[in-house]
Amino acid sequence: MSIKLENISYTYMQGTPFERNALDDVSVTIEKGEFVAIIGHTGSGKSTLVQHLNGLLKPSTGKAFINDVDLDGKGDEVKKAKHSVGMVFQYPEHQIFAETVYEDIAFGPRNKGFSEEEVEKLVKDAMSFVHLDYEEFAQKSPFNLSGGQMRRVAIAGVVAMAPDYLVLDEPSAGLDPMARDVIFEEIINLYKKRDIGVVLVTHSMEEAVRYANRLLVVSDGKIILDDAPKEIFKNHSQKLLDVSMDIPQVFKLAESLRQKGLTLSEDIIDAKSLVAEIKKQRGIK
Amino acid sequence: MLTDITLGQYYPGNSFVHRLDPRTKIIVAFLFIIGTFIATDAITYGMLIGFVALIIGISRLPMSLVVKSIKPLWIILILTLLIHMFTGQGENVIFSWRFLKVTQEGLELGVKMSLRLILLLVVSSILTFTTSPIVLTDGIEALLRPFRSIGVPAHELAMMMTIALRFIPTLLGETDRIMKAQTARGADFNEGNIIKRAKNLLPILIPLFISAFRRADELAVAMEARCYRGGEGRTRMHQLVYKKIDTVAFISTGILLIAIIVVRWGNDLCGLLN
Amino acid sequence: MEETIIKLDNLTHLYRDNNDKEFPALDSVNLEIKKGEFVAIIGANGSGKSTLARHLNALLKPAKGTCLVAGMDTSDEKNLWNIRQTVGMVFQNPDNQIVAAVVEEDVAFGPENIGVPTEEIRPRVEAALKTVGMLDYAKHAPHLLSGGQKQRVAIAGTIVLEPACIVLDEPTAMLDPKGRKEIVSTISKLNKEKNITVIYITHYMTEALAADRVIVMNKGKIAFDGTPKEVFSHAKELKEFGLEAPLAAEVASELIAAGMKLDKEIITDEELVEALCPSN
Repeated sequence: MSIKLENISYTYMQGTPFERNALDDVSVTIEKGEFVAIIGHTGSGKSTLVQHLNGLLKPSTGKAFINDVDLDGKGDEVKKAKHSVGMVFQYPEHQIFAETVYEDIAFGPRNKGFSEEEVEKLVKDAMSFVHLDYEEFAQKSPFNLSGGQMRRVAIAGVVAMAPDYLVLDEPSAGLDPMARDVIFEEIINLYKKRDIGVVLVTHSMEEAVRYANRLLVVSDGKIILDDAPKEIFKNHSQKLLDVSMDIPQVFKLAESLRQKGLTLSEDIIDAKSLVAEIKKQRGIK
Repeated sequence: MLTDITLGQYYPGNSFVHRLDPRTKIIVAFLFIIGTFIATDAITYGMLIGFVALIIGISRLPMSLVVKSIKPLWIILILTLLIHMFTGQGENVIFSWRFLKVTQEGLELGVKMSLRLILLLVVSSILTFTTSPIVLTDGIEALLRPFRSIGVPAHELAMMMTIALRFIPTLLGETDRIMKAQTARGADFNEGNIIKRAKNLLPILIPLFISAFRRADELAVAMEARCYRGGEGRTRMHQLVYKKIDTVAFISTGILLIAIIVVRWGNDLCGLLN
Repeated sequence: MEETIIKLDNLTHLYRDNNDKEFPALDSVNLEIKKGEFVAIIGANGSGKSTLARHLNALLKPAKGTCLVAGMDTSDEKNLWNIRQTVGMVFQNPDNQIVAAVVEEDVAFGPENIGVPTEEIRPRVEAALKTVGMLDYAKHAPHLLSGGQKQRVAIAGTIVLEPACIVLDEPTAMLDPKGRKEIVSTISKLNKEKNITVIYITHYMTEALAADRVIVMNKGKIAFDGTPKEVFSHAKELKEFGLEAPLAAEVASELIAAGMKLDKEIITDEELVEALCPSN
């Protein structure tokens, strides 16, 4: 089970003076069960890349497969394959349209052809994943909720389609730190429970290292780095800075401490592990 | 993709035509259009075509761009030609097959009508190619200003146009994004009969309207914060100034129009005078 | 004596929620800001920081208490236009505050509104665009610019009115890291070189480090008000407000809690490194 892109190139506004190459011969395979983060500055091609993962864009050249189904085709099989990839766009609350929370979340599953009983179960499950109480919220108008709640309704609308893969484009944009942590806790929970594949597009190096087990760095329409986040941040910091990306603050801090003579393990990825290492060094429990 | 549409087809440049006052250009285009309705024969049409060719020449617009402006309406042009060709009444039949009959008069009329359409299209395209949307809006506002006393809200109309021009690309991008989001949720916009299809559009239209209202609301606050309080007491960065080249443009258009009138009604006019 | 530019006295703002219940978005806030200060206001969503910002530009009026801008009362209709020329505002969404389809036309919008004579507008627009480093884009269409560039145009659109103070309401929330750096360095420059008072609302703590003074809002009240050092050393309380302290402050406070003897006011990486590995 995987999403596979083979030698994909994509050109916007082909044949006009505004022609722009967004992707240049990209090949990548994402397995179900992976948690992949994608970073790259605005205009690097990362948004174009993820829109190929469920056939929203048709590659100018190259082929895309979901679970071995070629997306360049018609018929129910292709449709089903595309629907197995859930896509949460940036500011997903802006796509909400139905009169009640229930109806909005049910939109996807109904399109997928589930029976009403199944839909109800899927909606309930999805709402519990994003911590929205069914009794309290199902019949409310989504437009009367707070921004954070609306975003969770929108994410539930994608989760309810029971996707094998979940693509999230900056799901934490515009949220404060606490709301950010809550959203990610829900995503991680879903990832672990359902064993799906997750693709996370993010601007935050911290999110990449904290949540993903694989990191793709996109620049100029190409994937220039593809490895475990820790390895990339440890071994390729200069290359990241060259493409106006950064490394997580904790890597910088740990590196400064090492340069001053502190021996710290290579496994530091967040404040907690750094504190633990320093304590170990200083012999504090 | 929707964002592939290139709106606001301003072609930047610094030619004689580009530098003309927008009011001049709007009035000249208007007079020219009157001219196309007066013109009847080969000579007058020749004058109009010569005039347009001259303008294209001095505005240094690439010919391909001008041709492109006709392209979207080529079907209508061909239809105009065909309808007049086959329905025109006349004596001189030049071609007939079964019930189809082409007369010389019909053919001439068809060519004339198509030419008139082409001239209209080309002249209005030259106007937008050589005038930035903002300046064009300024021109319209200035031309409407005298009508304020009879209740034409000149400033408000112009501000509306300015904002519309600014937000068209943003809203097209937004539509594209919402369409993709709903497609990813399994929406199919090409399924079923007309009623079903119209219903299928709701998941796009509702978020789009909400977004447009939200944007309008935020924009209104931002405009207020920047001291906007309507047209009263406002100044402009671009002051429209009537220059010598505008006089030149008016005189040449005037000559063209008079020439066309003389060719068409010259004999009648002479008769009247005698 | 430094001059006071903003003075809030028991400012209260009532907000009606969707269930028609009234609650105070701002609850008896007292605050004084001096000319030339660079103040960061941080707080979780719904803490009242945006509401506060809108009072400073007279977009909202106090339910109780007063808000004085350069001595002018915001609830007095007469002062409206003077206040808006004194305090410029930049909002979160760059797309929804740019009015015109050409950059320089947009920057000219403010001066046109207040009736600046035509011949003075262009030099002012160009100076403003130069300050934010966008002069090369004067003739561009805003929708083709990056987020950071759009926000710089929006900043140019306010400083062209030569305000004594600008209020930025989460201007970086929708930007990528590169755009965020552009904005922070632009406003630092405005504060240092043009001596414009800056009130910068954000929920990125690292951006607040650039300020002279940090104010933390929680549930409509000011929870902390002090230098970045004073405020960020309260790592634990910040977490309770749904915020996070800068990494070095967080690590330091954990180490102190574990019994290490460290300076309480460590907030930057350099300070922490120096404290742990003193370089004689």
